[in-house]
Amino acid sequence: MTIATGKAEARATLQPDRSGVLSQVWEHRADYAYVLPAIAVMLIVIAYPIYYTIELSFFNTPPGLQLRDKIFVGFDNYTAILTSQVFWKVTWNTLIWTLGSTFVSFVLGSAAALALHREFIGRGVLRAILIIPWVISAVAASYIWKWIYHSDFGIIGAVLVGLGLADRPPNFIDSVSTVLPSLIVVNIWREFPFAMIMMMAGLQTVPEQLLRAAKVDGANAWQRFWHVTFPHLRNVSTITILLLAVANFNSFIIPWIMTGGGPSNASHIWITHIYELAFGRQRWGVASAYSVLLFLILMTLGYFYVRALSGNERKDGSA
Amino acid sequence: MSTIAETAPRNQARRRVRIDGWRWGGRAFLVFMLLYTALPMIWMLLTSIKSGFAAMQFPPQWWPDQPTLASYQKLLDPQNSVGQDFLRFFWNSLFVSTATTILSVVVAVPAAYAFSRFTFPGRNFLFFAVLLRNMFPAVIFLVPLFILMRAIGLVNTHGSLILTYLTFGLPLAIWLLKGFYDNIPVQLEQAARIDGATRFQAFILIVMPLSAPGIIATAIYSFIGAWNEYIYAYTFLSKNEQLTLPVGIQRFFSENTTDFPGLMAASFMMSVPVVVLFLVLQRYFVRALTEGAVKH
Repeated sequence: MTIATGKAEARATLQPDRSGVLSQVWEHRADYAYVLPAIAVMLIVIAYPIYYTIELSFFNTPPGLQLRDKIFVGFDNYTAILTSQVFWKVTWNTLIWTLGSTFVSFVLGSAAALALHREFIGRGVLRAILIIPWVISAVAASYIWKWIYHSDFGIIGAVLVGLGLADRPPNFIDSVSTVLPSLIVVNIWREFPFAMIMMMAGLQTVPEQLLRAAKVDGANAWQRFWHVTFPHLRNVSTITILLLAVANFNSFIIPWIMTGGGPSNASHIWITHIYELAFGRQRWGVASAYSVLLFLILMTLGYFYVRALSGNERKDGSA
Repeated sequence: MSTIAETAPRNQARRRVRIDGWRWGGRAFLVFMLLYTALPMIWMLLTSIKSGFAAMQFPPQWWPDQPTLASYQKLLDPQNSVGQDFLRFFWNSLFVSTATTILSVVVAVPAAYAFSRFTFPGRNFLFFAVLLRNMFPAVIFLVPLFILMRAIGLVNTHGSLILTYLTFGLPLAIWLLKGFYDNIPVQLEQAARIDGATRFQAFILIVMPLSAPGIIATAIYSFIGAWNEYIYAYTFLSKNEQLTLPVGIQRFFSENTTDFPGLMAASFMMSVPVVVLFLVLQRYFVRALTEGAVKH
């Protein structure tokens, strides 16, 4: 009776001269059957769309999805994007949105995880409440906050007026200068629980003895955190930040529902802008070119993502 | 024994910590986070039990003068056209999310098991290809998928949603489950094989029961993901009777922009299933998410 991993090695030693890639593939032919359903679904719904998007980005397309009359225009769509002013405005917004949301969510989530690490009465309940915003739908969250920010009847405006900090309720999401920060607050509301969960799990891997030893040696709370806890969290932190950054870069629902990108593009980020170009103005070619650019950026991010993940695996010795 | 040994230094520490501000800082911070998290939800609930007139007041009624469940009654009443729509959306969401969940578990279980146990050529490449899918936003796939769905006649059907949700749910499902399989000792299966079980029998009889928590967690994730999904549903469905909740609510309230109590009641009811699911199965949920990223 041979066993899972031992099988391949055993055969390889028996027939050292036939260990080419093809014969290896053939030997493991049964293994692929397990992965096949997943790969098949992926190919249809991922590989084909990616190919089609790249193709479409080189064409000028008529409105409507009757795409037979498209005209080849080479790199025109790309130059049109890179020379437009909206592009740079939207890119700037996306940067602020992604970096702001990721950074603050991570800091708040980690701090909450640290504060919740110690046992106290009601910890479980508190933790559950803090995670709820992450579970509920972003559509619901957008409507809740839209109502909170409402320019006439919003509760924040009423509180500010009640405390004498403003003469009349401020117009949070209808003003160019405040709209993006206001939306980031909503996004953080939904995202910090994710960072919190990840960091809570990370904290559990910090050996208790080391902390106690450091305490005995006279290290204060900050020193213990910086020299013992923090180094253990580096791996989790990298992955959490990357996942948050990708999720934020890809967000759509909150800006789309709350403002639709307005006023005057002040809250448009890449994804909402692409969506509007494609399904609003029906400029499929330009929207596809945007998607390809986005794709390139994400591939770069993805490279680091995979490296962080496989670094984690290697350390664990399981890959 | 160990508890006694631990309480002694902890008491000492407590005395010292009183001077050190870290713990009080932590408490103050938690109070702040609690307010930040809970106040919007409380305001949603308070608004949902006001009348439309009571909600539109300045300064607002902090506590509703005349609490009423009218908004909920309206949404849940099948005689009423609003209630009819809402219940239909609710049912659509339930159907799509459940179908997605079942299918993704069925497809992800063998794939995750293979990624965890077998070393076949291209294993790492395929695994990361699956993970990479997670990186790309829906928008990239929207146009081609829309055309694809139209070509195979799935536009305006729930099939189009289930198929797409399956693909964005799969990578996460496979990743989560692989974490669980990695933690099940391979020796258990080996023992079963030695006792004469086939690989398939070992999988069904030994591995499946042990990975039940992982499967539950994966199922919750798929369900919540599908329940909350908006952009594909928004693009693929246009017939009113097909809409899922997020899109249905949005479409409904773009026509009735001032009915905030109704909107808040609908948001609340849309959140109930996923929040209940999460609270009941919290243990699995949190563990699964962190299993892949943090190994114990």
